[in-house]
Amino acid sequence: MTPVPVPYDPELEEGLAFFLDLVERIPLREHTILENRAHFATIIQPIEEQVGDLPLDWENRVIPGPAGAPDVEITIIRPKGAVSGAGVLGIHGGGMVLGTRFFATGELIDLALRHGVVGVAVEYRLAPEHPGTAAAEDCYAGLVWFAGHAAELGVDPGRIIVSGASAGGGLSAAVALMARDRKGPKLAGQLLNCPMIDDRNDTVSSYQYDGIGAWDRNNNDTGWSALLGVTRFTDAVSAYSAPSRATDLSNLPPAYIEVGSAEVFRDEDVDYATRIWATGGQAELHVWSGAYHGFSGFSPDAVVSQAANAARDSWIRRTLGLR
Amino acid sequence: MTTVPFDPELLAGLAFFQREIEGTPLRTGNIHASRARFAALTAPIEAVVGDAPVAFEHVSVPGPAGAPDVALTVIRPAAGTSGAAGVYNIHGGGTVLGNRFFGVGELIDLVVRHGVVAVTVEYRLAPEDPYPAGVEDCYAGLVWMAGHAAELGIDPARIVVQGASAGGLLSAAVSLLARDRSGPAIAGQILVSPMLDDRNDAPSTHQFDDVGVWDRGANHAGWTAYLGDARGSADVPAYAAPARATDLSGLPPAFIELGACEALRDEDISYASRIWAAGGQAELHIWQGAFHGSNGIAPGAEVSRATDAARLSWMRRILAL
Repeated sequence: MTPVPVPYDPELEEGLAFFLDLVERIPLREHTILENRAHFATIIQPIEEQVGDLPLDWENRVIPGPAGAPDVEITIIRPKGAVSGAGVLGIHGGGMVLGTRFFATGELIDLALRHGVVGVAVEYRLAPEHPGTAAAEDCYAGLVWFAGHAAELGVDPGRIIVSGASAGGGLSAAVALMARDRKGPKLAGQLLNCPMIDDRNDTVSSYQYDGIGAWDRNNNDTGWSALLGVTRFTDAVSAYSAPSRATDLSNLPPAYIEVGSAEVFRDEDVDYATRIWATGGQAELHVWSGAYHGFSGFSPDAVVSQAANAARDSWIRRTLGLR
Repeated sequence: MTTVPFDPELLAGLAFFQREIEGTPLRTGNIHASRARFAALTAPIEAVVGDAPVAFEHVSVPGPAGAPDVALTVIRPAAGTSGAAGVYNIHGGGTVLGNRFFGVGELIDLVVRHGVVAVTVEYRLAPEDPYPAGVEDCYAGLVWMAGHAAELGIDPARIVVQGASAGGLLSAAVSLLARDRSGPAIAGQILVSPMLDDRNDAPSTHQFDDVGVWDRGANHAGWTAYLGDARGSADVPAYAAPARATDLSGLPPAFIELGACEALRDEDISYASRIWAAGGQAELHIWQGAFHGSNGIAPGAEVSRATDAARLSWMRRILAL
C-alpha cells in the first residue's frame, strides 16, 4: 500500500506546477536521459545573462582533474568590490545525469552580491557515461584547486564551504567525506539543500512521492541507476557516490541540511543529520512544512520559501563569519 | 558518548541558565527546592506587562470532571479584537515546576506585535498531582477557550496550542486528546523542545547526561514525578507520553523546534518523522549548537534570532498573521 503523502502547502502549488511543466516536462527514465539533458540545457541561462550588469567579475578556467582523468572546468564569480574572505564551492544539481555548472551560479551570484563571497562553480562528469565516483572526484578536484588558490582569490582557506542542491547536495556531502578521509582542505561547512544521498530509495518518504511531486521516486531511481549501474543496492556502493552509505559520519564539517516535508529525500536527509549528531558532529536540520523538492527556488515569494532562505542565510553568516 | 558542541555565541547564556535557573540540576530529591527557586525567578504579570498595550484578566473555569477549577489568564490587545488568532499557552518546568506566568513576556510580545489573544493555563504539578491531572487541566482550559472564542474576540478556527519542554509535552498530549475526543479544533501545535518520551533512552539523552541544561537526569526526575512507577513500563498511555502514541495521523499541523545540543533531540525528530509517515503536516527545526531554551536565554544571538524568525514564519502561515 502506498503511504499517504504529506500534503503540499497551498501557497506552493503554483510553483510546483511550474516546476513540473518547466523542469520535468519529460519524465526522467533511462531512455529519456539524453532528451532531458538537452531540455535542461535550454532552461539554464548563459552566465553572461545571469551576471548581466551586476557588479561582479566572472572567469572560466580549466584546472587539473582527478588523477588519470580529464581536466575540470570551473567558473569563478567574485564581487567587483571588496571580498569578505569567504568562499563557496557550488555544485549543481540534476540527478547526477543533467545540468551544467551554470545551474549552480545563481546562488554564487547572490552570495557574492550580498556577502562578498568568492564562488567557484565546478563542472563534473555526468552519468551514465561517467558512473561511480567520477562526479565526486571532479568536484573534489575543484575544492583542492580552490583551497590551493585561496590567497590569489582573496579567500581565507579556513572559510570555504561546499554547497549544493539535490544531486549537488549529495556531491557536496561526498566532497566533505573525501576531504576528511584524505586529509585534504579543511572545509568550514557543508550546505546540503535537499541532498540526494541514498541509492537504496527505500524510505517511507520515497514511497510517499511515487508518481507525484517534483523529483519523485521514479526520477530518483533513474538517477541512481545511471550513476551506479549494476552495483546499485550492493555493498560495492561507495560513500563517495551515496553518502548515506558512510558508516562513519564523525569529524565532518558542520552540516546544514534542509529539505521539504513533502519530498522523497525527507527521511534520508533527516537520518543523515541524526547520524552526524550521534557522533558528536555539528549539524542544523530544517524540514519545511508542505514543501516540495526545490520549493525555495521555484516558489520564492511563498512565506515558507522566504523563511527557508532566511534560515539558510543565517547559517551561512554564522558559519562563514559574515554580517 | 561524545556530545555535540555548543555554539560559542551561546556559552554565556548556557552558564547563566545553569547558574541562575537550574542552580542544581533537577533530581527527584530536590523538586521542592527547585520549585521555590523557579517561582522566585518568575516575575508577577503586572510587572511583565508594564506599559504594554494589553489587557489581562484572570478567570477560573471548570476543571476536569471531579477536579478543582482551573485558573487561566487571558491577555488581549488593549484595543480589543474580533476574530483574532488565539494562542493557548502551556508553561514548561518538567511537569513539576512553574506557573502560568513563566515565559509570559514572550506571550505578551505576540499579543502586542500580532494582535493575537493569548490564554495561559495553570495546571496541577507532579509529583503531588501526577498524570493525568496536568494534561486534563490543560485540556479543560482549552475547551473553555474554544467555547468562549466569540466573547474573547477569537476565531475558533485559528487557535494554536503552544508550549516548551513540559509545555510541549502537554501541548502534544492535548492535541491527541482533542483528536480522540472530537474536541476543539486546533489549528496547530507548537512544540518547543518538547518532552515526549518517558523512556529517556535515545542517543541524545546519553549525550546530554550531566551536560548542558535539562539533562538526562533532570528529564528522568520529571518523568518519574509525573508517571511514578509506570515510567518506562509498557503501560504508559499516549496522553501521558505522546511518543507512545501508535497513531499520529489526523493531528493538527505540528511545529517542532529544538537545539542540536539537547537530550530531547532524537525523540523529537522521531515524533516529526512519524507524523510525516502518517501523511501529517509537521515542520522540524533543529538549530546547530543550541541548548534547551537557548533562544529565550540568549535572544540576541544570531541562531536565536533565526529560531524566532522561523517560528514566527510558521505562525504566519498557520494563523494568517
